[in-house]
Amino acid sequence: MNAWWVSHLVLVQSTFISLLLALSIQVPLRAGVFSFAGVGSYAIGAYTAAILTIRAQLAPVLAIGAGVVLAAVVGYLLALLVARLSGLYLGMATISFALFLGVLATNGGELTGGATGLFGAISTLTTTHVVAISVVVVLLLAASERGAYGRRVDAVREDPHLAVSLGIDVTRVRRRVFVVSGALGACAGGMNALLRTTVSPETVGFHLVVTALTMIIVGGALSWAGAAIGAVIFTWLPSVLQVVGDWQLVVYGVLVAAAAVWVPGGLLGLAQDGWRRLRASRRRVPPEGAAAPAAPVAADAEQQLAALGGPAAEVRS
Amino acid sequence: MTAVDGGAAGAAPVTGQAVLEGRDVAVHYGGIKAVDGVDLTLETGRILGILGPNGSGKSTLLAALTRLVPLTRGRLTLDGADYGRTPPSRLAHRGIARTFQTVRLLPDLTVLGNVQLGADLRLGRGARLRELVRRSVPPAVQEAIERTGVGDLLDLRPGELSYGTARKVEIARALAGRPRVLMLDEPTAGMNQPERLEVAGLLRRLRDEGLTQLLVEHDVSMMVDTCDRLLAMNQGRPIAEGAPREVVRDPAVQEAYLGKRGHRAGDR
Repeated sequence: MNAWWVSHLVLVQSTFISLLLALSIQVPLRAGVFSFAGVGSYAIGAYTAAILTIRAQLAPVLAIGAGVVLAAVVGYLLALLVARLSGLYLGMATISFALFLGVLATNGGELTGGATGLFGAISTLTTTHVVAISVVVVLLLAASERGAYGRRVDAVREDPHLAVSLGIDVTRVRRRVFVVSGALGACAGGMNALLRTTVSPETVGFHLVVTALTMIIVGGALSWAGAAIGAVIFTWLPSVLQVVGDWQLVVYGVLVAAAAVWVPGGLLGLAQDGWRRLRASRRRVPPEGAAAPAAPVAADAEQQLAALGGPAAEVRS
Repeated sequence: MTAVDGGAAGAAPVTGQAVLEGRDVAVHYGGIKAVDGVDLTLETGRILGILGPNGSGKSTLLAALTRLVPLTRGRLTLDGADYGRTPPSRLAHRGIARTFQTVRLLPDLTVLGNVQLGADLRLGRGARLRELVRRSVPPAVQEAIERTGVGDLLDLRPGELSYGTARKVEIARALAGRPRVLMLDEPTAGMNQPERLEVAGLLRRLRDEGLTQLLVEHDVSMMVDTCDRLLAMNQGRPIAEGAPREVVRDPAVQEAYLGKRGHRAGDR
């Protein structure tokens, strides 16, 4: 076990960092905001943490925290800037935000280390820290999916007009989403930079958009759990797929395409559907007012009669 | 059951007092005058019905009154104060609730969740946090569910409901916020006759309890039976207003509804 842990430590760390990165895209998507700004924030977090660690020998939590705050502020400003955009256009605008930060890093001179990046960001950040931070983040996000908080986000995603008429300030929810996404991305970036002790324009590039999106599409976009499933699969898959060698990318492509076409809700959506169906089949009498075709089919004759307006109907009237 | 008692307003409202007024309301899209010069007054505890053929601007008027579309011209007041620049999401907090012409339930929430959505604006931070730990149903939600008779369906998803039932859930959602003004856009469209009568009865009971309502409907006999006043529209313009029976007998209304001039000439 101990030997396994040591040899797989990097993968364990990557899983949690990927999870946070994926969440920085999943949180906006859940609110119907097609934003990849989290990837740009990843760059902000990575560089801020590395610079503060190398130059000021700041404690890792402070260095990462500074990046989180900075990215949250940038996220807010970005939200104001792209307030009128949505859908594909918003997606493009936020991708260019990420690319812009890459260019900035490459041309940042001494501060960012140019194209070679920064080295020697040695800190006391441990895997335990990473796991602890991730657990706290996941707990908070899980809470945001429940109760009135969850309903609010659902309404903003599914039907902004309806949300407005129900008293939800859609613009404010969207701005918050950018702030949270920025903080999550920066947290992932900062932790990664300090664990690897290095950051370069290459490591914060466009490929992160693909990685994060892949995890969410396959895992499921509507919950943190989907991002978690995706993060686990795509962090560990390469080591599993070593046997197929160069065909790895093909397997990737097929997986993502299959998920996008046949399982739009991701693996999580698939599991939830299954669970719901199981529960529906256990429900004995379809309540009156349920649509006939979708009502669960009762197993025996007595139940069928009841479903057709037997005792249940009388009780109701 | 004291029921929908005008939301936060403590004192019993006086029936017939003007709550919400629109003056010379106009919404133009380029050259198209969807709504053009409509005056209306919603009075406490009364139902104003808006009648008119398809495309006559009823839904646009509702969107204008709820600030979902900007006014080209005109003035909107709530309790005498202009609300023409109030953000639409604030209106719900001021007691205005509405339903839409089409079913707009959230597919991933249960019936209960959808109804709760209507009451969430009244939850304080404490109540929101408590709900994370323990599921609870506020009394307003419970009451809205009972009044609309969807209590047996709380665990179902909107996709599993019949059309008429889904519309009832929407009314429940609107009531769950305990509004003092309720605007309904064709609430009984797609319902069968017993369901229509049920809804009409509910609206009348709510009115008697003091709820101010604006009702857009196609069913003329239901409108006559339910509304205190009718406003008839055609092509964005008001063509008649007054007591329901008089409005439906108005020649201009007859013409708008029956379409052809020849029809009216033939009747004479």
